[in-house]
Amino acid sequence: MTVIEVRGLTRRYSGGFEAVRGVSFEVERGEMFALLGTNGAGKTSTVEVVEGLSRPASGTVSVLGHDPFWERSLVRPRAGVMLQEGGFPPDLTVTEAARMWAGTLTSARPVDEALSLVDLAHRAAVRVKQLSGGERRRLDLALALLGRPEVLFLDEPTTGLDPESRRNTWELIRSLLREGVTVLLTTHYLEEAQALADRLAIMHRGRIVARGTVSEVVDAYPSRISFVPPTGVPLPVVASEDGAGRVTVRTNSLQETLHELLTWAHANSVELSGLDARSASLEEAFLAIAEEAA
Amino acid sequence: MRTVAVGQAELKLFWRNKTALFNSLILPLLLVPALMAADADGVPLVIGLTGFVLLMAIYYNLVTTFVARREELVLKRLRVGELTDPEILLGAALPSVVVALGQMALFAVIVGVMTGISLPSQPWFLLVGVVGGVIVFVLLAAASSAFTRTVEMAQVTSLPVLMACVLGSGLFFPVSVLPDGVGTVLRLLPLSPVLDLLRAGWDGGPVLRPMIVLALWMGLGTYAVRRWFRWDPRR
Repeated sequence: MTVIEVRGLTRRYSGGFEAVRGVSFEVERGEMFALLGTNGAGKTSTVEVVEGLSRPASGTVSVLGHDPFWERSLVRPRAGVMLQEGGFPPDLTVTEAARMWAGTLTSARPVDEALSLVDLAHRAAVRVKQLSGGERRRLDLALALLGRPEVLFLDEPTTGLDPESRRNTWELIRSLLREGVTVLLTTHYLEEAQALADRLAIMHRGRIVARGTVSEVVDAYPSRISFVPPTGVPLPVVASEDGAGRVTVRTNSLQETLHELLTWAHANSVELSGLDARSASLEEAFLAIAEEAA
Repeated sequence: MRTVAVGQAELKLFWRNKTALFNSLILPLLLVPALMAADADGVPLVIGLTGFVLLMAIYYNLVTTFVARREELVLKRLRVGELTDPEILLGAALPSVVVALGQMALFAVIVGVMTGISLPSQPWFLLVGVVGGVIVFVLLAAASSAFTRTVEMAQVTSLPVLMACVLGSGLFFPVSVLPDGVGTVLRLLPLSPVLDLLRAGWDGGPVLRPMIVLALWMGLGTYAVRRWFRWDPRR
């Protein structure tokens, strides 16, 4: 079942700037779809329309079969939203902020349960203004989960979290996905998308420039082998120098090329010091896409 | 009512905000001795104080509240929840409205006891004036917040409405001393119809015109809020 469907979405700001230029994607039930992109690529502008905060200039958006802007009252009770920047009154305690939010919901889970989910139960009596940046993010996530949402919008959910909290948050999101919650994620952390997303799209200047599963996106980019070349011997493969004494070989068949290189080194009794061979990561694909598109 | 959840949180914040607490609870009490010493007619005094409460406890107080919640990103967060836009604004305004109504009642009782004023002959006009006035000044506060960058700036951005209302409502000098044309214009200011209705509540008088002016301000205020109110911080 398709939970989120975006067709030909464009968004224009007053002044004529076109932030989103014809974006289409869909997200199935229980799936995580990640929207990645450089700053100003149009991710948040896109997500705001899907959340029902803004109207598109053209195109259609459907969430759980309804228009999120015009049929807000049908969509919101089933959706949870964590904004990139959202706030709570600094002088309320964590529990008070959560109670306030729970009071606005059609059906809320117990406040204690939501706080426990994000490991904030021990901070329940603390004022919001005394929380760390990471704790504030987790409070925001707890509130997004208070209404037992079927669809979850997460905009930079782990910014400011320490590595352990980030892992715990990832575990929590995975368990939600297993329960069938549909998640639309936007993030700067490419490893986060790599770890969690079923499918993703990379945006640049308002358009989707690459999409697919993580491996589909990554496989389009060459693997890399880098090392300090032995002196006085011509290499058997094409390599580019990085200026710091190392060379990099780019290849679409890592195993073949690496085998060729190692066989050659063995036969010539030369050392490839600092040898490093890796498949393309999402980060490399992302950087290459950003570079190509620039 | 789910908007009450926001109102309750707002009430807690009100109790924790020393400035708001002082302005709303202590300041009016400090006025009481001055009132007791005043040798004024009871009814105009009650009417003037009601106008003062509408301007300070509702209008000025809510401009700062809306700006503070906007800059704290609270309005933005609330807006992705289930509440509708009017429910969010109403929730944030609720405690101020309750405190203001309490102040009005307190002043009326004190002045009433001091000067022995008669009960209003047309209480319905009084009610319409107070309820309409509350609605208009909540809307005007929301509209003014759109043009206010920070909580501190509220002292400046609220001045046009405050000054116009105070000067134009006849609180300090009777509008009748002014040339006809000016008087007519002043009667169109938002506080004037409220005070006219309160006067009509005690002494009778024409109510159609002030009711129309009040309704126009409600329409204008609603339009201004829809057109200009900002949910995101001004940067």
